[in-house]
Amino acid sequence: MRRLLLVHDVLDLQLLDRHEDKIGRVDALVLEVHAGQPLRVKSILVGGSVRQERLGRPAVWLAAMLRRITRSRASGVSEISFDKVRRIADVVAVDVEAETLESEHVERWLSEHVVRRIPGGEGERK
Amino acid sequence: MRKWFEVALGLVTGIGGFLEIGSIATASQAGAEFGFQLAWVLVVGTLGLAFLMEMTGRLAAVGKRTYTDQLRERFGLRFFLLPLMVVLVVSFLVLASEIGGVSLALEMATGIRYQWFAIPVALVGWILLWRGSFAVVEQGTAVLGLVSLVFLVAAVTLHPHWADVGAALRPSRPVHDRARYWYLAVSILGASISPYLFVFYSSGAIEDGWTPEYIGVNRATSALGNLFGGGLAIAALVAAAMVLAPAHIKADSVEHISRGLSSPLGRAGTMLFIATLCVTCFGATMEIVLSVAYMLAQGFGWAWSENLKPAKDARFSVAYSVIIVAAALLIAIGADPLVLTNISMVATAASLPLTVVPLGALMNDADVMMKYTNGWISNIVLAALIVISLVLFVVALPLQLLGGG
Repeated sequence: MRRLLLVHDVLDLQLLDRHEDKIGRVDALVLEVHAGQPLRVKSILVGGSVRQERLGRPAVWLAAMLRRITRSRASGVSEISFDKVRRIADVVAVDVEAETLESEHVERWLSEHVVRRIPGGEGERK
Repeated sequence: MRKWFEVALGLVTGIGGFLEIGSIATASQAGAEFGFQLAWVLVVGTLGLAFLMEMTGRLAAVGKRTYTDQLRERFGLRFFLLPLMVVLVVSFLVLASEIGGVSLALEMATGIRYQWFAIPVALVGWILLWRGSFAVVEQGTAVLGLVSLVFLVAAVTLHPHWADVGAALRPSRPVHDRARYWYLAVSILGASISPYLFVFYSSGAIEDGWTPEYIGVNRATSALGNLFGGGLAIAALVAAAMVLAPAHIKADSVEHISRGLSSPLGRAGTMLFIATLCVTCFGATMEIVLSVAYMLAQGFGWAWSENLKPAKDARFSVAYSVIIVAAALLIAIGADPLVLTNISMVATAASLPLTVVPLGALMNDADVMMKYTNGWISNIVLAALIVISLVLFVVALPLQLLGGG
């Protein structure tokens, strides 16, 4: 058995998806409370409003303003079930596909609408 | 075999990468106004940088993560925001100065005003980042940077009284213009120890796949590389002290600074000065813009690597693209590169506590470093650097106002 301190050993670590690609950091951990049962770690939250709240009020305001300008309704938060965790070491590897995560929306949008349209953005491996 | 290659590469990087507009300008100003007297500050700056680079390299090799990663993980999101903001702002100013340095070199070569070169320089840099790999950026600029050895040739050709140079390696107090003296001392320290170097060096260690086996390589490269690099900066100071000081010329323009080389070496000296300024500032431009993008990407957990195609790390690639163009705009609209250089070196010096103090905590954390935590020598040096950085933080702004003119 190995002891795991949620804040010390898990919070803020780099998250990797199924293909070991980087998909943000552990911004919050959700505990499940059922009457009469012990607490259970339910999920990991990444990105968006969860991160903004941790950063403080200016970040929340700034994000709200940006959302109004871009008319986006997405919260940008992804919830990853703790059952999907495959490895916790100096990174947290989870068995999910980056494509399915709302928190990776900006990455996908930039990749499709900006980077791939510039010559050399897609090209062969360098 | 590969390790020896790495040591050689580290040496070349130290020689070719140490000088850039910040160290060339501040060392020349010091030599022109105070003779050899400020040489000791270069010794302090070089030693400090060598120790700090050794530590960040060891941190990355043992922890398998960069300095930024570990700063973010150990200290949390809220705290991380502070060094992030400060390093972003300071590095942006330094970046603009470096682009300005390349532009000034091109102005000297062609006679066309420097503002016109800023955007083209940024575009060339951007294309290299967009299409090149980390090895191309690192090794290319390092090898070309060897042209800066011309400062050593100039210093030797000028036949300084070496005993006087040696005596100046010991700290001494100024006899005139005290505020200016200490202002230049702070600028020199800021030019030697830049926080972007920690970000860049530790990210490079990860890009190159370092493991604890590289601790020896890391120690050799950071010690020898900086020894040679610092030696070149002292050579620049000596050249300015021999040529500019007797004629009472201040090193307040690149033309004046170039006389340190053209006086002993003639026309070739001028050409080599232009080449050195151009190449080393361009190298620094690439390092800084990558460092800022590394720090953002690592802090927020984005995909990052100079070895990936841009589509695979879109946020990282967009970040460096925007930053390099934005910094070039500052020069294109006419900001004076040398004034910007002095301001940004002092700002760098003032920002050091925010990056050096957390580094101290990480280097002594056995959770991260296992048996490779700092020994007592490193810790004494680190403690001294923390004290120096706190003093710099307090005195930087007053000195900018009193001695900046």
